[in-house]
Amino acid sequence: MTRPRLDEPKPDELQADDLDVAGEAATTARPASHLGIGGILDWLRWGWRQLTSMRTALILLFLLAAGSVPGSLLPQDGTNPEGVQQYYLSHPLLARVLGDLSLFNVFGAPWYAAIYLLLFVSLVGCVLPRTLHMVGSARQPPPRAPRHLSRLPLAVSYATTVDPETALGGVAALLARKRFRVRTGPGWVAAEKGYLREAGNLLFHLALVGMLVSIGMGGLFGYKANRLLVERTSFSNTVTALDEFHPGRMVSPSDLQPFTVTLNRFRASYVTSGPQAGQPASFNAMISYTSSPGGKQQTFSLDVNHPLVVDGVRVFLLGHGYAPTFRVTDGTGRVVFDGAVPFIPVETSGLTSEGAIKVPDADPQGLGFAGVFLPTAVDVNGQLESAFPAPDDPVVSLVSYAGNLDMNSGPSQSVYSLDTAGLRELPVAPRPLAVGQSIKLPNGLGTLTYTGYQQWISLAITYDPGQTAALYSGVVLLAGLLLSFMVRRRRVFVRAAAGEAGQTTVDIGGLTRSDAAGGFEDEFADLAAEISGLHQGGQDSDPDEQDPPEQEPGGQSPEPPPSNTSGE
Amino acid sequence: MFRLSCSVGRGARRVIGPTVGLLLVAAAALGLAACGGGATAQQTAVGNGSSFVPGSYGTTVFGAGKRPVAPDVSGITLTGSKFHLSADRGTVVVMNFWGSWCTPCRQEAPALAALARRFPPSVARFVGVDIRDDPASAEAFMRTFRVGYPSLNDPNDEVALDFSGTVPPAGIPTTLVIDRSGRIAARIVGAASYDGLAALITQVSREGS
Repeated sequence: MTRPRLDEPKPDELQADDLDVAGEAATTARPASHLGIGGILDWLRWGWRQLTSMRTALILLFLLAAGSVPGSLLPQDGTNPEGVQQYYLSHPLLARVLGDLSLFNVFGAPWYAAIYLLLFVSLVGCVLPRTLHMVGSARQPPPRAPRHLSRLPLAVSYATTVDPETALGGVAALLARKRFRVRTGPGWVAAEKGYLREAGNLLFHLALVGMLVSIGMGGLFGYKANRLLVERTSFSNTVTALDEFHPGRMVSPSDLQPFTVTLNRFRASYVTSGPQAGQPASFNAMISYTSSPGGKQQTFSLDVNHPLVVDGVRVFLLGHGYAPTFRVTDGTGRVVFDGAVPFIPVETSGLTSEGAIKVPDADPQGLGFAGVFLPTAVDVNGQLESAFPAPDDPVVSLVSYAGNLDMNSGPSQSVYSLDTAGLRELPVAPRPLAVGQSIKLPNGLGTLTYTGYQQWISLAITYDPGQTAALYSGVVLLAGLLLSFMVRRRRVFVRAAAGEAGQTTVDIGGLTRSDAAGGFEDEFADLAAEISGLHQGGQDSDPDEQDPPEQEPGGQSPEPPPSNTSGE
Repeated sequence: MFRLSCSVGRGARRVIGPTVGLLLVAAAALGLAACGGGATAQQTAVGNGSSFVPGSYGTTVFGAGKRPVAPDVSGITLTGSKFHLSADRGTVVVMNFWGSWCTPCRQEAPALAALARRFPPSVARFVGVDIRDDPASAEAFMRTFRVGYPSLNDPNDEVALDFSGTVPPAGIPTTLVIDRSGRIAARIVGAASYDGLAALITQVSREGS
């Protein structure tokens, strides 16, 4: 029943022996600088310990974060090549230095790759040996019983008439029955429970490695993109159709899943009364999609936090706004613009939105309009404001410009704002337009008509092949963490020694190896009571099953001895 | 009785402590990275509408044996006529993805228009693919730059999607040079230059068919 272990003997005294490895690496001394194979090995070992120390990992993590900063401060080759060109033109010398340091392509820079590869090696190199160590710890038998059990935090002592060997045998059987791992020796029993803590530790560390790997996979093979989509229009998942595209290092444009999404209708409802008036109550986008060209069209109701999943790609509803529609006729009478222009919300309570209409190819002069869209226009002391986000009285107010829109050279412009540097403002009396109304520009430059409005949604498109694995790793990681926090390893030692007058002294000592929430005191008290219960009969000098069988008077055949008295 | 051994307890805790700390810092760093992404996501709404695949900017020439076959693109042009790419087999085809709203497209437009006039149709044909545009603006653009070749109207990026799995346009503008047997010989991402594109067309058109 008991499981004696014959591992190498351990010192008797208590120690924080088998769990502490964290400090080990940092305290390792640098090897003496002597040459030869052994010296090189020493240096390699020392370097590896430095790399896999917690301190190095933290420094690398900080460097990784710091290294990302120039990527968001400076224009990057990948996402904004015109910005980079512009930077070279305006700061030629500085740009050359920055370029040599790969600061215009930070995330592809060799030094950046070096940081994250080192970080990965450091983390894996830190976690894996620790995992192995923990496997060892989980397999370890309990240590020998200390000599003086009364020094333990929890200790009980009593005397009994049961002889030491028999007493210990009963104890070992009892503890084994209670699923303690038991080790016996001459005059003592050591038992330990709570190895699940080590299993938790192990799970935690393995899950950590799993999480690192899955995050790495996601970073290499995944991508993130954004797209603004006006009602009754479609887009395909190709690079040219995406407003922002952030691919992983191993992603090429031909890897994008070829789905198409059409926004049929977007509906937002708002709280109409009370202190919450104007707050959004619900958003819903009815979309149809095909997962491949020529595939079957399906419909989907897209809500906030209810993404469309197509071909492993998640499409999230991110935001919404209004896209007023305009028709612009130029000086020659030709229609030079006819479409929806997404305006960007600048406040949430009334969804006042700003935007620009650019007509660079109008004849005789390029035309530009900048202004606001007010879903529910109200006049507040002569100032136009939007009182409510729903389109109850949708009005646009525009300033008109003519001249050179400066779109034929130089860096890309935002399609949502107008660069008025090369333009002159036209003397048009400011008048908010209702749907169907027009601005007639002076000098026969043309006409703008506000023909209506549509709504748009912004979509976040994310593909992360490591996501599911990362989720499961995270769950296992938490479970392991909880196990290791909640399960305490606890040890119980029992010593029995023959004392004076044929009495046996039984010492019970208990110890928990973590200072987590209490409870072991009670467990120990119950256990001690049960153990002493085994030997109770001996104290009353009553014959009981613990004692060797006695010869019964009457010459009856002796009963076979009880089977649970042996101590093996 | 209630005193618990400190040294042992602390020893046990030290294992998980730094790891948890490291994990938290890692999570924070990832959060930071995610925040960076969030900032750019915010910009989406106010971005310039053109994005390029990192590393793809510039000219890529495919060796004669390594050319992917171009899909048989078809569609309706801005002027309402039908177009089939396969009908142009036997000449070099220059396919330019553009939009009237896109600054580098406007920058390269004079060069493309001039090259289309320079090369006779027996040598090279030009076709545009007008992306995310309204036809009125597109026609005004073509008048401004005196573009003589047709353009497919492709508001939903279906032509670009046809190229998925081969050499899809990696940004706007993208110019593809398709050889006489219908294979993609070169791709220019970003504004094409007159001299660079002229050299490519000349080189590809002189290859044996």
